Amino acid sequence: MAELNDIALVTQVAVFHNKSAFDQLVRKYQSPVRRFFLNQTLGDAQLSDDLAQETFIKAYLNITKFRGLSSFSTWLMRIAYNVFYDDVRSRKQTEDIDSLCVLRQFASSGDSNLKMDIYAALALLKPDERTCITLQLIDGYPIEQISKITGIPDNTVKSHLRRGKEKMTIYLKENGYDR
Amino acid sequence: MDMTDKDKILIDDFFEGRNELADLFKQAAQQQIEDNGFTERVMQNLPEKTVTIHRLSCLWSLFCILVGAGLFFAFGGWQVLQGLFYGGLRMLLGWLEVFAITAPTTEININLWVVLLLLVFVLVFLPYQTYRKLSATL
Repeated sequence: MAELNDIALVTQVAVFHNKSAFDQLVRKYQSPVRRFFLNQTLGDAQLSDDLAQETFIKAYLNITKFRGLSSFSTWLMRIAYNVFYDDVRSRKQTEDIDSLCVLRQFASSGDSNLKMDIYAALALLKPDERTCITLQLIDGYPIEQISKITGIPDNTVKSHLRRGKEKMTIYLKENGYDR
Repeated sequence: MDMTDKDKILIDDFFEGRNELADLFKQAAQQQIEDNGFTERVMQNLPEKTVTIHRLSCLWSLFCILVGAGLFFAFGGWQVLQGLFYGGLRMLLGWLEVFAITAPTTEININLWVVLLLLVFVLVFLPYQTYRKLSATL
């Protein structure tokens, strides 16, 4: 039913250029999209909001390309993934997203130690590993959905998840997180 | 680094078991980010390009309709339509006339079930499908 509602809203935007229909879509999906960016940028709220805004603008401009082969949320998350990787590529020349300056920012943001340690552990991962890990553990997507969003084959997603969890486990255990 | 099955179980347990870390991931999964004006900012920053293209496309459609209508009358399209209409009507009347003359001598087997099925298809199935498609798109 929710899916049908999304398709009806997308049709309103694509055919009648109905901005209030797009407003409803943004309201509905702002939280998962912003949370996705927050996890990818290791908690940088300003950057996350900028990237989320870019995602929604791209979705609006390309809404006629949505064919309904996957759900609207998967299509939107795919755009978000591409926006994030374009940003990572453009930033690589100036600074690395994994650099310590990002972590220092969270150290002063008043987050709990555990949250900071998780961000630190996530920072150890390669961008693809981090994306797969957060999409599975935080956003709760199954492997085939992660594969659709990222365009990475199922088996590669599985190995990213395995390697990512392994690295995080080692780091977190070294920092005293054990059962 | 190769991992044994035991290592895999330990890692899964570490992330999905009942510990502080697993709880934090669960909390993060349930976290809803408040809008706080985000939607308004996105709506304000939407480009007008698409609307301009839409307007241009409407103008182009209007122009094509006007040119089409002009050419239709300029080249006597109305007479052609009239000719087609009257020609069709004459054909239909001729066919009915032939039918009326030959019908009493022609044996036609009409299956009532087929007629009934056709009626159901036209009166129920087609309107239902049309309604479904319209409600899915609008």
